[in-house]
Amino acid sequence: MKDKLPLILMIVAGFFGLTDRFLPHPVAEGFNQYLRDTLLRIISAFALILGLGNLILRHVNKIQHKGDGWRHSYTLLISFFAASVIGLFGGVSGELWFPTRIGNFQFDITTIYFQMLIPLGATMFSMLAFYMASAAYRSFRARSWLAVLLLGAAFVVMLGQVPLGHQIWSGIPEVSQWIMEVPNTAAKRGIELGITLGILATFLKILTGIERSWMGGGK
Amino acid sequence: MNVSTDPWVWVGVILTFCIYSFLYRDNPFYKFGEHLFVGVANAFTLTFMFHRIIMPILVDPFVTAIRESATEGMQLSHWNPYATDANFLVIIPGLIGCFYFARFIPNYAWLVRIPIGLFMGYYVGRSVPAYLEGSVFPQMRATIVTQDAFSVAGGGGMLNGIFAIVILIGVLGTLTYFFFSKEHKGVVKYGAQLGIIFVMVGFGASFGFTVMARVSLAIGRFVFILRDWLGIVS
Amino acid sequence: MKWERLIHIDRRVIFLMMALAIIIPLLFPIHMPMGVQRVTQDLFDKIDSIDGEEQCLMISTDYTPQTEPENQPMTMALLRHGFARGVPVLLNALYVEGAPLLAQAIDSVMVEFNRHATSHADSIIYGRDVVFLGWQPPPIVPILGMGEGIGNIYPEDYYGNRTDSLEVMQWIEDYDEVGIVVAITGLAAPLWYVQFAQTKYGVAVGAGCTAVCAPDFYPYCGSGQLSGMMAGMKGAAEYEELVHKTYNTRGRRKATEGMAAQSAAHILIMVLVIIGNIAYFATRRQS
Repeated sequence: MKDKLPLILMIVAGFFGLTDRFLPHPVAEGFNQYLRDTLLRIISAFALILGLGNLILRHVNKIQHKGDGWRHSYTLLISFFAASVIGLFGGVSGELWFPTRIGNFQFDITTIYFQMLIPLGATMFSMLAFYMASAAYRSFRARSWLAVLLLGAAFVVMLGQVPLGHQIWSGIPEVSQWIMEVPNTAAKRGIELGITLGILATFLKILTGIERSWMGGGK
Repeated sequence: MNVSTDPWVWVGVILTFCIYSFLYRDNPFYKFGEHLFVGVANAFTLTFMFHRIIMPILVDPFVTAIRESATEGMQLSHWNPYATDANFLVIIPGLIGCFYFARFIPNYAWLVRIPIGLFMGYYVGRSVPAYLEGSVFPQMRATIVTQDAFSVAGGGGMLNGIFAIVILIGVLGTLTYFFFSKEHKGVVKYGAQLGIIFVMVGFGASFGFTVMARVSLAIGRFVFILRDWLGIVS
Repeated sequence: MKWERLIHIDRRVIFLMMALAIIIPLLFPIHMPMGVQRVTQDLFDKIDSIDGEEQCLMISTDYTPQTEPENQPMTMALLRHGFARGVPVLLNALYVEGAPLLAQAIDSVMVEFNRHATSHADSIIYGRDVVFLGWQPPPIVPILGMGEGIGNIYPEDYYGNRTDSLEVMQWIEDYDEVGIVVAITGLAAPLWYVQFAQTKYGVAVGAGCTAVCAPDFYPYCGSGQLSGMMAGMKGAAEYEELVHKTYNTRGRRKATEGMAAQSAAHILIMVLVIIGNIAYFATRRQS
């Protein structure tokens, strides 16, 4: 029961997913629409709530057991609860009953998004530019002719992607485009075909019940 | 220089420098910014999920059905699973979603497999024809060299035809290089060596584009600092 | 020359060099003309061929604030193109973190156009010329569901308006009325549209992607499954340039502004790789 019921439900859902492409019958289409547009949407919402619950539990445990960096867990929990109250009771743009404005100073969830989330998130990703420069200096060694080929292609593409390349020689962007449209396409197409066929094999194993790792361990 | 007086711009700049301080070394300011980001990002997602999914799709139809049944009596339309305005049956996906929380109850933890199985089963089933029709077959078709590749009328030309042959050789070489079920000896060895050339050029191109991507993100942040905060860039 | 010291230089010196390579061109901008890649021109031509009386342009995004500097200029350039051509534009977000960015882009470009409008017909009116449908998870739901009926998936738009009350939604029902879906992505949204929507409903798909995933989409451009692509910030700058030159649009071109700094940073990376290799081989020869 604990193994068979989820497996049967998974296979039935998979069957409807497969037939969605091939069965134009109104009954099948209607059920597929219900499955996708109602059932899966609500289930995905609860999956998110589960993720949030896990996050909160983990940090509460960290504070209780004084784990590594436990003081920072307070930052996470306080900011999460404060922003959640503002968002849930104040609405997406501050249209609900919870006050999200003091004079001209607004602090609804959308303002918090633009003024805190964007600077934090964008800055975290932008740090990669610096680490990449450091890695390029320390690690990219032309030890073999294949590495020279890789670096050569990289240099041509890097120059071709900026206006300066066009200024140095008008042929650089053309060569860069050729690299992208011919050898890069060939390599990526071969890799993509291999990956896709591998994914399809795994999907078919899941659909036929051979692959059951998604059920997790234990009883 | 025209330094901004908007308090939120100052908040953004302070948070930006908190994160950039990691470039010097790990420090409490970076950790503060990191944890603040996770907390606020999750609260934002929860807000939207609640107001745009849970309320309109789950709670409102169920509550409306109860209210209408209380005032006008039970109707057959309230038991139509496809109805979106007033519907009792919408509680079923809600209950299935609640099974996710069963993972915290040891004896009932197996219930979490039900929503996972439904979601994954549908997605996997729908993906099989999608991947075949959307990726495998069209890409194979595009790799096959035909007369059209050489004819100007077909949008090609002699040079395009030659490049199409190069792509075909490259795809076959790449597939050969990653084929590990046979030892790379003889013809397979030369095919694999040809394939690795294409793979290296492809990875070099990817590196070049990755550099562009990362630098673009850094440019965005510096524009914010120099323009929106300091006002020294117009 | 002390090659050993050069190889083991503190990485914070390299960080500082990268920061200066970006800051100096921003402070002292140099405008350099740039060419247009084939894939960007193809996307522009495809959108230019849409008949605004019968079809709309759909912009579908799955980017987040983390890739905003690359993707947001793409969205704005597409909005300018649609508005300048008089083609109705529908937008939707596949991930919630990108939804407010779309709203900001719409507000910003509408203000640009309405500032110079001389009549009601000239103006960009929400509901008539542009609709922001909002966000519905998971991504497969809107991608497949819009083929059956856009109003079914989005009964209300992002701002809470009933979509069936909006003027342009009276005749836009599903993908048959969509000229092209341009997926602006930091992940793989164009491929999802190609695999799920294009195979079943035959809708044309274009891409606007971060430079990281652009090389993976070139095979799809080559096979014709993607009608065109904006690849990274350069692609966005090219598209901005095309729209500006063809329709004389006004408004800040954020991607174009960053090209000088992009050039300097690329040259720095190349110089660092070359110096690193020279130092490495010199050290090996010495030892």
